Amino acid sequence: MPLTRHSDIFRVVPFTRHMGSIYCRPINVRREHVFPSKQHHPISAAGPPPLLHADNPHCRTAMLQEGNKRMIEVSSLTKTYGKKRGIDRLTFTVNDGEIVGFLGPNGAGKSTTMNIITGYLSANSGAARIAGIDVLEDPVAAKRKIGYLPEQPPLYLDMTVEEYLNFIFDIKAGKEFSRRAHLGEICEMVGLKDHYKRLIRNLSKGYKQRVGLAQALVGNPDVLILDEPTVGLDPKQIIEIRNVIKSLGKDRTIILSTHILQEVSAICERVLVINNGQIVADDKPDNLSAMITGDRKLIVRVAGPKDSVRHVLRSVDGIQFADATVQAEKGAYDFLVEAKPNIDIRKPMFMALAKAGYPILQLKSMDLSLEDIFIKLTEDSKKPRLSPKSAVRPAAKDVSADKPEQTQEDFPALNVNLSSGEFDAEDKEDNE
Amino acid sequence: MAAIYKRDLRAYFTSPLGYVFIAAFLIVMNSVFFVTNLLTGRNSIASVYTVTLYILIVIVPVLTMRTFSEDYKQKTDQLLLTAPVKASGIVLGKFFAAYTVYFIALLFTIIYVIIVSAVGDVNMASIIGNYIALLGVATVYISIGIFISSLTENQLVACIATLGIFIALFILDYAYGLVNVGWIKTVLYWLSIFRRYNTFFLGVFSVADFFYYISISAVFVFLTVRVLEKKRWS
Repeated sequence: MPLTRHSDIFRVVPFTRHMGSIYCRPINVRREHVFPSKQHHPISAAGPPPLLHADNPHCRTAMLQEGNKRMIEVSSLTKTYGKKRGIDRLTFTVNDGEIVGFLGPNGAGKSTTMNIITGYLSANSGAARIAGIDVLEDPVAAKRKIGYLPEQPPLYLDMTVEEYLNFIFDIKAGKEFSRRAHLGEICEMVGLKDHYKRLIRNLSKGYKQRVGLAQALVGNPDVLILDEPTVGLDPKQIIEIRNVIKSLGKDRTIILSTHILQEVSAICERVLVINNGQIVADDKPDNLSAMITGDRKLIVRVAGPKDSVRHVLRSVDGIQFADATVQAEKGAYDFLVEAKPNIDIRKPMFMALAKAGYPILQLKSMDLSLEDIFIKLTEDSKKPRLSPKSAVRPAAKDVSADKPEQTQEDFPALNVNLSSGEFDAEDKEDNE
Repeated sequence: MAAIYKRDLRAYFTSPLGYVFIAAFLIVMNSVFFVTNLLTGRNSIASVYTVTLYILIVIVPVLTMRTFSEDYKQKTDQLLLTAPVKASGIVLGKFFAAYTVYFIALLFTIIYVIIVSAVGDVNMASIIGNYIALLGVATVYISIGIFISSLTENQLVACIATLGIFIALFILDYAYGLVNVGWIKTVLYWLSIFRRYNTFFLGVFSVADFFYYISISAVFVFLTVRVLEKKRWS
């Protein structure tokens, strides 16, 4: 089968969000190719690879044991506006407790997807399920599980915040909530306490946005869908709202859309890059950049004489290239180090330098920023498509197994260093 | 449904709309009552009630123009349609809110009965019949108005279109009087909400005509629900 489109060729799904590493597999490579039956799997030494795939019983039990059930399932959703395609066979799942960022330029289909998940629009084909409930089959039950902040917060301007939230409470919250306590808690969370009695018309844009967010939280829904929650806010408010969303994400599943790239790296654990109605990438923000650069390049600042440090670096197994760039500080040089594919050289490099007595002052990855990734991904997806069908398959992937040559050519970046993910995970824990 | 009813009813009275509607209604009604009953000393109030039919042509469009149009404009329809409420609940909530405003306006006209009964005899049976008919006929006006409002996000368009439809219905009623061909007359009679009121005006309570009003408005409420549901597929 000819491969021409990157979105066909690779699709990366984080295996679990706890495990830093990811399995990736070219999407149109059949699973049998990747995991020949009963063959030893290159990554997990113990037992068969638990695929995140509905037809794999191992996987399902594993997911349930971890409480990692699928909260949002979207399968081959297509929506056309007249002749124009809004979204095109969109497929993804979001697990319970994930914060997923929807990244894409204007008109990529972010809002359309969100409107379909929330039941405001209907897709021409495909299905969306919230906690297993089909949005079309049982809309009321599905909508009960969702809190939705549309692009423009749906506010009745002639009401006060108090009246508005009480109205939302009436239409959304179940009887198990105590009105005062519940609304009080929400206002506390989004910082509306002082504006509770004010007319919504008179609030500033930032506060209107907060009321919109508060509205989405009423009834304590399991799933929050936030369409550009920070658009139009001032920098201080953006940070505040981001923190609110982050704290909300501790016990909820959140999808948020944005075209601001920093936002995803600031809030999200996983990014879905969407362009022209299709998912062009699906990964952790960190891995995404690693994936694109392909070869891992690092900048290391080492204190020590230039030549001997270079000598030590070049002797480290796995380093393909190492050379000094500039003298950054007194007695310390920046070295550009390039690792061989699929090897994480940070540990051996540290050990080698430590052994030689040259301390590392700074270690920086040369990964592209999200902007670069984004431009690269969206440009790639503009290439002509020939095998559209392969895009619809939901899958867990692995690239480390055998794959067709075309994949390599088309997308060398697939050589993700899988072990590096573990580092990321550890780093994160340390930070917290 | 109850929450939407409550909000919409409240919205009528936090904006001038509800007050303007009731005031306009009462100004015309009181003038008519003054002329036909107080000045001439007649004790029949039925002709005053007939005037209601014609006032509603002008003021119901104002009452219903914003029902859905404003929601579309403010994008609050997105809130309603993604809330765990059925489309029928949304429409009925809004319908009853508008209807309640009319009901309140109508309540004020009971004062005519009190005044006339203080100085003369009134035919209570006829008056009760008339009130029930007025409640029935208003469901038609309001449901048509809400239906038109659900079609556009422009309140002015909704208002004028509703007015146009009411005037067209009024003209049909005229046509009924002019045409002499049997089958055309039958068709026009089906369509004429005004002609149907005649029996009530004459003091006959016609159950058939009352249910005619209710079923016409049920059709328009149903159509409005369909419009809302269809929005998802646009």
